[in-house]
Amino acid sequence: MSEPAIAVGRSAPRLEAVEKVTGRAEYIADLARPGMLYGAILQSPYAHARILRYHTSAARALPGVHAVLTGADFDDHRMGAFVKDETAIAIGKVRYVGEPVAAVAAMDEATARQACRLIEIDYEELPAVLTIEEALAPDAPLIHERLADYFKVFPAISKGNSLSYTEIVEGDIAQGWRACDVIIEGEFETPAQAHIAIEPCGALAEVDAQGRITLWSANQSVFRVQANVCESLGLSMARLRCLTPRIGGGFGNKMEAHVQPIVVQLALTTGRPVKLILTREEDFQIVRVRHPAKLRVRTGAKRDGTLIARECELYLDGGAYGDDSPGVLGYALLMSRGPYRIPHTRSHGQVVYTNKLRSGAFRGFGNPQVAFAGETQLDEIAEQLALDPIELRLKNILRPGEQWFGGQPVESNGLAECVSAVRKASGWDARKTLPAAPDGKQRGFGIALAAHISGLLGTGAIVRLLEDGSVVLNTGAVDIGQGSDTVLTQICAEALRIPIDRVSLASPDTDGSPYNWGTTASRVTYTTGRSVLGAAREVERQIKEHAAEIFECSPVDLELRAGGRVGIIGVPDKELPFLAVSARAHWRKGGPIVGANSFVYDTPTLDPKRATALGLPFQQIGVYSFCALIVEVEVDEATGQTLLRRAWSAVDVGKAINPQLVEGQIEGGLVQGLGYALVEEVVWDGARLANPSLMDYKAPGIMDVPYELQSIIVEHPQPDGPFGAKGVGEIGLVPVAPAIANAIHEAAGVRLRRLPMTAEGVLRARLAEETSNAD
Amino acid sequence: MIGATVTLTVNGRDRIIAVPVDETLLVTLRERLGLTGAKLGCNQGVCGACTVLVDGRPVRGCLALSINCEGAAITTIEGLGEGRSLSLLQQAFVAAGAVQCGFCTSGMLLAATALLAEKPAASVEEIRAGLAGNICRCTGYRKIIDAVLAVATGRGP
Amino acid sequence: MTGIAFHLPDTIEEAVGLLVADPESRCLAGGATLVAMMNAGLMQPSGLISLRRVAALHGIERSADGWVRIGAMTRHCQTAASGLLEGGHRVVRHAASVIASPPVRNMGTIGGAVAFADPAADYLPALVAADAEIEIVGSNGPRRLVAEAFFLDWYQTALEPGELIVAVHLPPGPPRAVGRYNKLSRVEGDYATASVAVVLEMERGICSRIALAVGACGPKPIRLSESERALVGGRLDEDALAIAGGLLADAADPVDDVRASADYRRLVIPRLVRRAVRSAATEFR
Repeated sequence: MSEPAIAVGRSAPRLEAVEKVTGRAEYIADLARPGMLYGAILQSPYAHARILRYHTSAARALPGVHAVLTGADFDDHRMGAFVKDETAIAIGKVRYVGEPVAAVAAMDEATARQACRLIEIDYEELPAVLTIEEALAPDAPLIHERLADYFKVFPAISKGNSLSYTEIVEGDIAQGWRACDVIIEGEFETPAQAHIAIEPCGALAEVDAQGRITLWSANQSVFRVQANVCESLGLSMARLRCLTPRIGGGFGNKMEAHVQPIVVQLALTTGRPVKLILTREEDFQIVRVRHPAKLRVRTGAKRDGTLIARECELYLDGGAYGDDSPGVLGYALLMSRGPYRIPHTRSHGQVVYTNKLRSGAFRGFGNPQVAFAGETQLDEIAEQLALDPIELRLKNILRPGEQWFGGQPVESNGLAECVSAVRKASGWDARKTLPAAPDGKQRGFGIALAAHISGLLGTGAIVRLLEDGSVVLNTGAVDIGQGSDTVLTQICAEALRIPIDRVSLASPDTDGSPYNWGTTASRVTYTTGRSVLGAAREVERQIKEHAAEIFECSPVDLELRAGGRVGIIGVPDKELPFLAVSARAHWRKGGPIVGANSFVYDTPTLDPKRATALGLPFQQIGVYSFCALIVEVEVDEATGQTLLRRAWSAVDVGKAINPQLVEGQIEGGLVQGLGYALVEEVVWDGARLANPSLMDYKAPGIMDVPYELQSIIVEHPQPDGPFGAKGVGEIGLVPVAPAIANAIHEAAGVRLRRLPMTAEGVLRARLAEETSNAD
Repeated sequence: MIGATVTLTVNGRDRIIAVPVDETLLVTLRERLGLTGAKLGCNQGVCGACTVLVDGRPVRGCLALSINCEGAAITTIEGLGEGRSLSLLQQAFVAAGAVQCGFCTSGMLLAATALLAEKPAASVEEIRAGLAGNICRCTGYRKIIDAVLAVATGRGP
Repeated sequence: MTGIAFHLPDTIEEAVGLLVADPESRCLAGGATLVAMMNAGLMQPSGLISLRRVAALHGIERSADGWVRIGAMTRHCQTAASGLLEGGHRVVRHAASVIASPPVRNMGTIGGAVAFADPAADYLPALVAADAEIEIVGSNGPRRLVAEAFFLDWYQTALEPGELIVAVHLPPGPPRAVGRYNKLSRVEGDYATASVAVVLEMERGICSRIALAVGACGPKPIRLSESERALVGGRLDEDALAIAGGLLADAADPVDDVRASADYRRLVIPRLVRRAVRSAATEFR
């Protein structure tokens, strides 16, 4: 498009910014309905136990209590994104400490909680399985005895406590090893990370006189909420309407269900609106975490640095329920080769059930775990071959048009440009000439590269031209704070060449919005943006059809002009405002103008001519964004504590529809990755969470983050992306841990293969290094 | 006494409210006065989403008992700005992209307001120290610092 | 509806009377810890005695003989900003300035922190190093205990039922002493993983007096006269520092928790001691 952009490429303030800076934005906890009751849950004290009997009469007798529900009040319906293994509330047995076993609706929260404390449940404790090794032991107690019978959305390879096995192979790994001059092998371990969206999860449900249910909740997809609630309660989807308030952050934790099914059942039982907001502690205990992982990775190269072979063996701790685990496993394996050309690669792994809180989607979706191992090993190879880590990477990165692991060609690839941007901005090549670190400190730089997809599954958009020529856009995509409402509005405005304020955005509503799988997989800008563009193009077509009839010309002779007009190309005074066209359509001919578009992402991930796969949970994954990150750290010699001093992150986003929002994603991802790298870890004390509070689980605060945190936007247009755009939501987090690990190595001479790289971890590694040097 | 009436001056207006002894200021503001801008994030004083100003100083709404705030002047996010126009800091947060999900925003803005009242020309380091009690899980903080810095340096939003 | 009584005494005597009358009631100082525990259902007092109006509990004063009295209701932000805490007393001021975060420092009080006696709290080692005395009033009248004798065990103090902390008193230190508080924590504002409070006086390069207390590494702050004797009279050389730090590490009784392992704490104590003493010594150059 040669004409100047109206909306795309501008850092328009987010649409709801004023609402948020004035405190008027309404989140789930801020909503209320007349006659509303309050819900609370009772949680399991056991990791694995059979439920023998419920004693609820004392709770029911408490004044102000309207309903007490236990597993006995729910039919055995099961939900799950990949394997349908989870009920709305524990039925028959409990599988992790904290699992909801009963729920109460009462006149106020204090009464509901008091009633929960009055419920007694008889359990028969069963042996619990708390680690991957225990779960895979030959005589391990089974967490899901009926795993074989569960409905699975893909041909999962499941057995015992192993929920799914996946393998992807390209080339001939045995031949690959023979061709290598240097081979690096290592074991890596990564922790459970908590999402800590500052807003705890919650839901509010209400049933109308016809028995139809309306449900508001903290969510990342009204459609996934609808599907999960209806599957787990055995309801027709037509009976449930899901809406969304503003969302106080979602990093994967709000994508699949949390308390929505329980809250709907409480509303159905009482006939009254019911709201339930989790406490921070409950939110820690019952929602989900990033998968703890164990990896064994081997990488081999030629003496000149050409990468030849990689094998990645991955074990994910899935916790008690499947949730997104098979997807995380498959995706992690697909990412395990990194953005590199490695002709012989074999990646395989499994996700196992344990008697712990479920693991699920979390920004990065398996990629941070494999990137930590892969990018660490690249530095080890560079060290062995005495190559600059950047030169080694540049020698091996995929170039535009080359294929991803599995065979999918990647056309848009600005990775080389990302690398040069951060190399230059950080002063990488001159880093050894920087002034020495203060006494007792050691400084070093580290680099890591990453790629991440945006895509997956179905999406839609409806664009309607109102009578006055302004527009309503309806996509069903939930803005979780990242800014998709603004970005989609910008895309729509640009396509129709009207100012942003002439587009109004409908709030997601399963009754009225076209399907949108969800705000996940870095996908909204790319997939929903494509649909918005498609729907707007349809509106454009209809506008031109009307105008062609009015002007008695061909539609191809017409153009949209800035400000909402349609005119004959080359004839400046032959034009009509949208109002004239829309009025004609509404009142005289053709009918109101509505443009709709929907599609499902359908480019195959696997090219059978290049690769083979077993147990792959998806067939069509998405398009690729790229990132290069350089960090400078300072390690305290006395304590081992690592401080991030500066960071430079360049991301190829195809096209930045809103540069400020893109920067916000890069910076936010970087800091969440910083927490993952250095301090964040959900710890279990036996079967129980040891740190389910913000007092004990620490995330980076403003003092732990440098002001010198530079985000650089690189734009290699994605041919089928809206105005060339692709995703940016997750990628900024992915390379952080390995970049910091590599920087710690440069600073302190030690290589850490376990996250988080705490002060203790670094100091111990240094002392071990000193001891082995002394020997 | 079991609960009592307290008089609070909330955003310049005297409010006489009956509260139970163990009711936090956060609950009073949100549930009795309908001022839902202050958020409950941890109920433990760590996250900062409930931060409000009591006699000009940022405190945790979730750790203050309303009954113990007799006579205090409380400022909430709803009380920033003049009439319908935004304060300079609110404008700067909008312009700098300092807001993502918005859940930490009201606490962050009140902490920043108190900071600039005390140090109108705050440096980056002073801004970081002043906002050290407010967790933001979305932005990475950089744009929040930029927003406060814009006002502190008089560059305006 | 809760059945908690609320009291607003004006005098210490009145407050003590209320405490004695209802042993299940609790004093409400800044609320930073008590209210958090009530929110979590970990504490359900029968009554709250707000000390807000008790004038005698507020304020920091320095008497002519050099003693500094910090009223129990003094908030951390006031202690951190007080110009009356000079020389060795700076260790207390410094500790106050790194407690949690600004809004919490605007609420929490020294009396509340001392009474709760979390071994990872910043004030504890600082008060022990400063030879602080805790002034207590009960129905039997007032008494004073040195901080070392006041902190007994995990969250346990010498405070008897019906007693109230009135003030913290800091004895006059050597005029040229310096006080420093060094804290290691996972992130800024966290409780200490380990900490070292030091009060040091040097004369012509020789350590003339030193007090060292280690925090967050056991049930209460650790202070050892042998450790200090290893340094007094010397030039704070590496060997002496290693001995002093090693003795403190040996005396520590840390536990594994989510902040770090016990072993790590023992490992870093000498390192933190060395750094704290060195850093204090630079003020004498």
